[in-house]
Amino acid sequence: MAVQTMVQTIARTLDQEMGADERVVVLGQDVGKRGGVFLATEKLFDKYGPDRVIDTPLSEAAIIGSALGMAVHGLRPVAEIQFSDYVFPGFDQLVSQVAKLRYRSGGQFTAPMVVRMPAGGGVKGGHHHSQSPESHFVHTAGLKVVFPSTPTDVRGLLRTAIHDEDPVVFLEPKRLYRAVKEDVPDDPDFSLPVGKASVRREGDDVVLVSYGGSMAETLKAADALQEQGVSATVIDLRSLMPWDKRAVLEAVARVGRVVLVSEAPRTAGFMSEVGATIAEEVLDMLLAPPIRVSGFDTPYPYAQDRAYLPGPNRILKAVKRALEY
Amino acid sequence: MIRDSQLFQPFNDEPYTLVTESGEWVGTFDLDLDADTLLRMYRDLVVGRLMDERLGRLQRQGKISFVAPTAGHEGAHIAVAHALESGRDWLFPYYRDIGLLLAFGLPPAEMFAQAMATRMDPNRGRQMPSHNGSKALNIFTIASPIASHIAPAVGAAISMKVRGSGQVVVTSFGEGATSEGDFHAALNFAGAQGAPVVFVCENNRYAISVEYNKQTGAESIAAKAHAYGMPGYTVDGMDPLAGYYVMREAVDRARSGLGPALVEMLVYRYGAHSSADDDSRYRPREELEAWKRRDPLQRFRRLLEKRDLWDDGAESALRAELGETFAAAAREAEEAGPVPLEWMFDDVFAERPAHLEEQWRELQD
Repeated sequence: MAVQTMVQTIARTLDQEMGADERVVVLGQDVGKRGGVFLATEKLFDKYGPDRVIDTPLSEAAIIGSALGMAVHGLRPVAEIQFSDYVFPGFDQLVSQVAKLRYRSGGQFTAPMVVRMPAGGGVKGGHHHSQSPESHFVHTAGLKVVFPSTPTDVRGLLRTAIHDEDPVVFLEPKRLYRAVKEDVPDDPDFSLPVGKASVRREGDDVVLVSYGGSMAETLKAADALQEQGVSATVIDLRSLMPWDKRAVLEAVARVGRVVLVSEAPRTAGFMSEVGATIAEEVLDMLLAPPIRVSGFDTPYPYAQDRAYLPGPNRILKAVKRALEY
Repeated sequence: MIRDSQLFQPFNDEPYTLVTESGEWVGTFDLDLDADTLLRMYRDLVVGRLMDERLGRLQRQGKISFVAPTAGHEGAHIAVAHALESGRDWLFPYYRDIGLLLAFGLPPAEMFAQAMATRMDPNRGRQMPSHNGSKALNIFTIASPIASHIAPAVGAAISMKVRGSGQVVVTSFGEGATSEGDFHAALNFAGAQGAPVVFVCENNRYAISVEYNKQTGAESIAAKAHAYGMPGYTVDGMDPLAGYYVMREAVDRARSGLGPALVEMLVYRYGAHSSADDDSRYRPREELEAWKRRDPLQRFRRLLEKRDLWDDGAESALRAELGETFAAAAREAEEAGPVPLEWMFDDVFAERPAHLEEQWRELQD
């Protein structure tokens, strides 16, 4: 085990995967000598050189589009988009080409590639360094979408994503990049399946479901509830496409009350899908309606970002509503 | 860095022409192709033209939903196909490349199967007609969003360079595509990487109805190459041999590590943009007639006739043979039968996930 932050884990996992398979290449802006603006590709350039750690022009369309061509020709590219807020010039490549290639070619051509991007708020970056774009990707059939929240999960899922035969959008909660250090497994074969949630706490009074950056506040809320004598099951979805419907439905059916926490804007956000599924599948087991705690339907604000993000207090209020329903 | 070329200087003012409309060789060098090669090229020109006509008929008969006519582009098509090594090099084409795909080796039956979305289509009936692809032949499956395949072509070329495979990529598109951001993104990256890719612009002067001078203020599409540090050539794309020789040089440059090039082929589409378009709303008939006098098939045929390689008898025999071949191919494609409903849920991912399994069950209920 090594005690590491999330961003250190990313660099280490990329290093191990590049060492194990020479088809794995990394590309993006500043991923070379600079080691990435967050240092997620630190030291890879010195070790693997410019043919495998490719500093690209400042063009997300070129990064994602060329990664697809590399994948089609037999490489295993891991592309970095510097901030998920900057993915949109490359969004057409993701939606029109990457997501649909296997389908539209009848399985002849595939896109085994990863597009990593730091996402979410909490770093005082204003709306162009803080957004949560996951629903755009989830709503595009053909992309797998993961959004882990711990160094260990990042390690296991990044390895799985690189080995996946399909394109994976790998969202990283940037405000947790250095927030926590934990013991991360050394085993180079350690991996976690895409599509499997993790139960972070077991409890009987309410289920809290979250993912990505909001997991931190959700766990804080669960701790506060514990002090009040309310026990919560906390589920970290980790993967959004596919998502672990069974884990959520089983917990909700058992407990009967659920609060869905995501910092993304509320309307048509991913938790709306989770809430609708709960209503469709286990309505008669519910003791209260599923309640969402989310960001608001505004552009991500700069000065008021602490109020925008669903903090423990807003989560606790929602839990109270669910308990008293 | 733009290096000097062998036969052709980049950024030429007048488009390169090697054969006149009357079939006269006017190149400053000798035509070094043997009779068999010339005859294969001519055959590929006719194949492209007749397939275009046949797909148009199938569309009018209601047997296929759509077609993007290609007549007038055949010179550019065979120029590209014959400059590449089929089975080794890669194509990232666009939807007006019927003749190119066939000359690169796509079996006619697959062309029909794709257009009719039958089980024989290796793309499993997933796309509208004129959107072929073949992994076996290194033909990247065509997509509708304009210019979206150009950056993937560059990525494949970078992979070829990194792995030292000695392969070359050609990607083709119309002049409208050069206005998209992805065109810039892709050529810029290719130039920075020295990737072995040749960009071929089939400039037919119309993006559906929008004319060249509304598309760009640039004197030529080839001129745009300068900014990316690669040579740009403007070629009479109705002259198949001019296209071929320029392509051969551009492909050789790329293969030997000298980097990418942009080749602009001046062509004209005889038909409408698609079977859903009415070009009489925006193009004068006289313009079409003037361009048809430069027809690539007629021009090439005259060259062959001047060399006693072709005559009326050979022409009728070829057309009769191709007519039968295509009729048989269309029958074979149709007899494969329609793609099954369940295929709708395959190939979203390598394995069908639980939620798609559920949705397939829901559809069957």
